Amino acid sequence: MSAVRVVGAVLAAALLGPALVACSTSDDDDRPVVVVSTNILGDVVEEVVGDQAQVVTLMRPNADPHSFEISAQEAGRMRSADLVVSNGLGLEEGLQQHLDAAADDGVRAFVAGDAIEVLDYADGDASGSPDPHFWTDPARMVDVVEGLEAALVEVDGVDAEVVSAQADAYLEELGAVDAEMTETFAAIPAGQRALVTNHHVFGYLADRFDFEIVGAVIPGGTTLAAPSASDLADLVTAIEETGVRAVFAESSSPDRLVQALAQEAGVDVEVLELYTESLTEPGEGAEDYLTMLRANAERIAAGLA
Amino acid sequence: MSPRLIVLAALAVLPLVACSGEPDPSPRDSSAGGDENHGEFAGAVELAEPALGLTTVDAAGVVRHLDLLDESVSELAGVGDASGVHTDGRFAFVQTSGGVDVVDSGVWTWDHVDHFHYYRAEPREVGTVPGTGPATVATTNSSTSGGSGVFFGESGEAVLLDTEALADGELVERYRVSTTPHDGLLVPVGDLALVTEPDASGTAARVLTLDGDGRPVPGGAHPCPDAQGTITTRVAAVIGCADGALLASVVDDELQVERIPYPPGTSAPAATSFAGRDGRPTVAALAGEDRVWLLDTRAESWTLLESPVPLAQVTAVDDDDEHVVGLSTDGRVVVLDGGSGELLGTSGRLVAASLRSGVGVPTMVADQQRVYLSAPAEKRLYEVDFADDARVARTFETPTRPLYVAGTGR
Repeated sequence: MSAVRVVGAVLAAALLGPALVACSTSDDDDRPVVVVSTNILGDVVEEVVGDQAQVVTLMRPNADPHSFEISAQEAGRMRSADLVVSNGLGLEEGLQQHLDAAADDGVRAFVAGDAIEVLDYADGDASGSPDPHFWTDPARMVDVVEGLEAALVEVDGVDAEVVSAQADAYLEELGAVDAEMTETFAAIPAGQRALVTNHHVFGYLADRFDFEIVGAVIPGGTTLAAPSASDLADLVTAIEETGVRAVFAESSSPDRLVQALAQEAGVDVEVLELYTESLTEPGEGAEDYLTMLRANAERIAAGLA
Repeated sequence: MSPRLIVLAALAVLPLVACSGEPDPSPRDSSAGGDENHGEFAGAVELAEPALGLTTVDAAGVVRHLDLLDESVSELAGVGDASGVHTDGRFAFVQTSGGVDVVDSGVWTWDHVDHFHYYRAEPREVGTVPGTGPATVATTNSSTSGGSGVFFGESGEAVLLDTEALADGELVERYRVSTTPHDGLLVPVGDLALVTEPDASGTAARVLTLDGDGRPVPGGAHPCPDAQGTITTRVAAVIGCADGALLASVVDDELQVERIPYPPGTSAPAATSFAGRDGRPTVAALAGEDRVWLLDTRAESWTLLESPVPLAQVTAVDDDDEHVVGLSTDGRVVVLDGGSGELLGTSGRLVAASLRSGVGVPTMVADQQRVYLSAPAEKRLYEVDFADDARVARTFETPTRPLYVAGTGR
């Protein structure tokens, strides 16, 4: 923040008369502030930084990283933060102006997408542009944590040794989950390693664990109200070619999809949902990143093995 | 001390101030439970699937919404005398005697290029854009940002509405500028817009670029003889001209206008009305009754198809099979292969009475798997499966004549 802005803030404050300060973080807490965009990264940052900083996660549980909005106070807090952590690769569209403003103010930034080997979307209209959903691959999150550690130890007021020790511990946990996922997926025969899905976020998981993504073949609700063979043709073909017994779909009517498949096409599969772009509230199944990875791996293995 | 701490120290002895430096009477604090709107737009909920619907207007001006998922019907508004409707996939812009009434259907889709997000909020009547005579409405792909253009030809008034404000339930005119009265267009492109300008005979002859305040941008004039018809694809805004189409898009805050001339040597009538599946790059237009123009805004190319039957309307699905759907002049839905022009399917004469009687204008709305057709005289809405020999998948009876229809939730 420039000296001019500081003076401006003081003046604005002086003109408004006495009252209490509404700046968010608790009054006596003088730890550095790390503002994080998505809740998946927020969880990871909290694990690494521990109590060495106040971590402010902007995206609430069960929200959408592409479109969440922040309040004026949160935007202000970003511009006076000690570090801003974002996903990057175009994920935080609704937030980009605030990220840019903070960067213009000289706030230090760590962009997770800069720390990883980026994949492009494989097909569709976005084909060839970078895919921001790297968190489905825990090995890429290892790269992110290493970069994050380097950024966090530079923050004034944190104990670098403590942060490094916590980063090491978390990297160990990530390694363990990675090994578990590898083992869980090993139960799926090579010929059935296909994710028939309308999710668009599993490109990195597929790359890492050798799955084929079969996307955009699951018909939506209005079609299923009066289905014909042509509505289900792509999905039936995908099911037959891949030999899968489960498809992974976000759908308001999974039962109707199952019935339509059974009646119209004589195909019997399960429709399962995966956690995709957000952590959940505690107790809803994906309250932290490692739990989210494990839950998805188990559902995929249970559906396909 | 970090810069942040300097600010906090300064503020600590001073007053109630939001961290942005602006007073905020209703701070949203995560501990206060006032956060319901985070991750959503103004109270909207995100859905797993698009909440596709058909929003209709009858002769009494009653605006109804048919939910295509659960088949329920609700009344959204009463707008009085209506003479047309236009939509951006969320808002119904209803032409009335007093101007253009804007009704929020409460359902929309957000296009993220690689995927979509679907929302539902409370439907509501937003307000009226006052004006006289028929209006031409031009919208973008986004129903949550940018602008929507309304052009009143009789008075020559061009009004740019703030679409983000509409999404918040407020009707805000970003500007209203007076032009020479003519049959014209105001087409939003990013934060800018294009407005038609007539020649001495009163026919639109070129388009001018307007900045965010409605002022002409120097050097922003582009010839477009007899400008008619506009649509916005995910690639660009399209304006039809006698000699081809203009494609306008904003790249790095700069307006880019490309001209796609008709193929040399063709004498087919020019496209004056474009239709296609929401957001897709390829759109269709009639070239007279017997031929169809396909404009691929990504490849910047025209294709001319011969139609096996005379057509009253046409729209492009732009799916993998390049389906093009037409309404024949005798009231059938016909499905063409956009690559070869081959006839793939024909329905029965669904809207023969409407076409014969002139009660309303049957209108087609295409989505990825279905095309919907309004039948005002028959008091019906049809759902047609174009991939299955133009089979009528569902028929919805309507309580009154659905004179005008808009596809919403898209």
